[in-house]
Amino acid sequence: MFRRLVFRDSVAFSGSVVGLASLLFGWLTVKPSRVAAGASFQLWEGAAWPVTLLMAALWLVCLTASTLARERLRGAVLGITANLILATAFVVAGRAAGQLLEGQDTIARVSLGSGFWLALGGAYVVVFSARESLRGLRFSRYLVSLAGIVTFISLLAAGWFDRLSILQEFSGREERFLQELNRHVLLFAGSVSVGTVLGVLLGVWATRSRRAERPIFFIANITQTIPSLALFGLLIAPLSALSFAYPFLRDIGIRGVGVTPAVIALVIYSLLPIVRNTYVGLRQVDPAAIDAGLGMGMTRRQIFRRIEVPLAAPLVLEGVRTASVQSVGLTAVAALIGAGGLGWFIFRGVGQQAPDLILLGAIPIIVLALAVDILMRGLVRWATPRGLRRGEG
Amino acid sequence: MIRLEEITKRYGQTAAVDNLSLEVGKGEVCVLIGPSGCGKTTTLRMINRLVEPTSGRIFIDGENTDHVRPEKLRQSIGYAIQSVGLFPHMTVAANIAVVPELLHWDRARIASRSKELLTLVGLSPEEYAGKYPGQLSGGEAQRIGVARALAADPPMLLMDEPFGAVDPLTRERLQAQFVGIQQGLKKTVILVTHDLDEAIRLADRIAIMEAGRLVQYDTPEAILSRPASKFVHDFVGTDRALKRLSRISVENVLRPPASVGIDATVESAVSACDECHWVWVVDDTSRLVGWVDRNSLSAASSVRDSVVTVNPNDIALASTATLREALSRMLGQGLKSIPVVDRDSRLVGEIALADIEAATSEAGA
Repeated sequence: MFRRLVFRDSVAFSGSVVGLASLLFGWLTVKPSRVAAGASFQLWEGAAWPVTLLMAALWLVCLTASTLARERLRGAVLGITANLILATAFVVAGRAAGQLLEGQDTIARVSLGSGFWLALGGAYVVVFSARESLRGLRFSRYLVSLAGIVTFISLLAAGWFDRLSILQEFSGREERFLQELNRHVLLFAGSVSVGTVLGVLLGVWATRSRRAERPIFFIANITQTIPSLALFGLLIAPLSALSFAYPFLRDIGIRGVGVTPAVIALVIYSLLPIVRNTYVGLRQVDPAAIDAGLGMGMTRRQIFRRIEVPLAAPLVLEGVRTASVQSVGLTAVAALIGAGGLGWFIFRGVGQQAPDLILLGAIPIIVLALAVDILMRGLVRWATPRGLRRGEG
Repeated sequence: MIRLEEITKRYGQTAAVDNLSLEVGKGEVCVLIGPSGCGKTTTLRMINRLVEPTSGRIFIDGENTDHVRPEKLRQSIGYAIQSVGLFPHMTVAANIAVVPELLHWDRARIASRSKELLTLVGLSPEEYAGKYPGQLSGGEAQRIGVARALAADPPMLLMDEPFGAVDPLTRERLQAQFVGIQQGLKKTVILVTHDLDEAIRLADRIAIMEAGRLVQYDTPEAILSRPASKFVHDFVGTDRALKRLSRISVENVLRPPASVGIDATVESAVSACDECHWVWVVDDTSRLVGWVDRNSLSAASSVRDSVVTVNPNDIALASTATLREALSRMLGQGLKSIPVVDRDSRLVGEIALADIEAATSEAGA
């Protein structure tokens, strides 16, 4: 009986268990200074008992709702409750931070603890599960997915989180942050663009020439196995040598450290998914369709443009998506060789043992990766010809 | 219409097609048949230059195809293949429109043409024009394939097992439909198959190939009655006499039926039974009702009382049926003679076992 009830939505159930557990962990950490050891505060210490009880009650609603049999009702209850939890967590975090800092030295810092992050994680597990239950209800799905984010952004803009350490790291570095964010986007977007052009060309070549096929995949596969740090490092020596031997290369900005090796490495990493997907995309086109096209008097070029390209495009873009998401993360490492980007905050934070500075770099990278992923998924969907879309028409 | 002159295609040392010459007249259906690897598909693909012959020449309407740009040549020849090869990202209408678009027809003409073709292959344009190939059954896809091949109204069609990838029942329907369409359009068709029954059913002339060579090229009747070699003899099989029957329509050997009206007198019925022991009974619109036999008539007061009623659908044969079906029906029902009816189940004749025997010996002579 119990088992049957639980497994209506085991994902949301697990998320709720994580959420309940989050109440047992410290929500906020107060440190006398930026790098000093901190003291952890529980939710009921930072906020108050009523808030703690409210959170517990909301998690229990999720837990119970995950056993509901009616799918849409379950999705609605889970989606609404999870978003209430998110809103409460955000409000509490900002408010408690201010209260805990009351009377403290100005250099004291308060940062978010594991309890908060667990609650965030648990709530999003529930949100994604609720989305699944709301299949077919487009508006409700968007609402459930975005309500928490919108709450967060509104509170952030209103200065609600200003007392949190991560925002104190940000304040005073606004210019630097925007500069590195900008550079991060340029680095990964530029590299993936170059990688897409090269990757598609290599992919097409691999399908057209049996002799080229094996070496292309051999090289693309090998490069993927080189650790990113090693590849960045390996490029320094030859590029320095080149720029010393040919000073004009220095003049156009090609040096052993900085942007050049970063872009080269990122391009190399983005090649494999794009080459592979281009190859598979072109190979999966029904040979009978090509034969029929030739037999009806289409030229090779017409077949490529009118049959092969539209049929392969979704897979090629799927490869670009993989490469983009991967590149957003890899670009962080590029900061090590002086290329800049959001990785700069991460390595600076590691160096200064300032976890919130690390987060200032890490969180935007995660958000950027998610945003790129969503954007590219939309693009893939848009490029999928109607006759090939699953579950439609 | 089309003439192949000493065509050879070699792949390395092996000749896929070896010195083959063939001529197909305008409006004829020529079926290329033979075991796998005999070169029939290669021969077909050399006609529209999807495969270039190693040597030899091909003429269409007297013009050497070598002198025509391959794309242009192919646009003027319909092409349908077993795996159909519809473009999955295009609607049925867009698939049919491929060649007309290559030929720069205007939109209105393309639209009306694709409607016309869908109707021709028996699919409703309203329902099918906007569908995607993924939504079609195998039989529907094959019909769209044929419609697409006919799109620009080419005088000539090349078909590579166009009804191969469907179940036997659907194949039979598609074949019957093809025969009907071909009667109206009179295209010059070259069709590849490995199914002898299909060849016999569709062909005006059959070209039998073995290891790249043409071993016999003749009408189905001639091939069945006079196989040119042991290979052909074995290929057509021991049941070739039966196969020959499927070339002969019941209409051709029909004899007038011995029948009486249901309201006829017993005397006239008895006299109609003079030659045999029984006679068909029809109603006043000549629809088949049943039969009476002499013994029961002698005791009865009227024909109506002694008639054994039958369901025409169970026992009678359509006049468009073949002798093969007639024979099968006779054996199945244990009858020496069966009635033949027209579309409105009116009795138009009858056919007896002896008639079939006579027809086979005639064709075999």
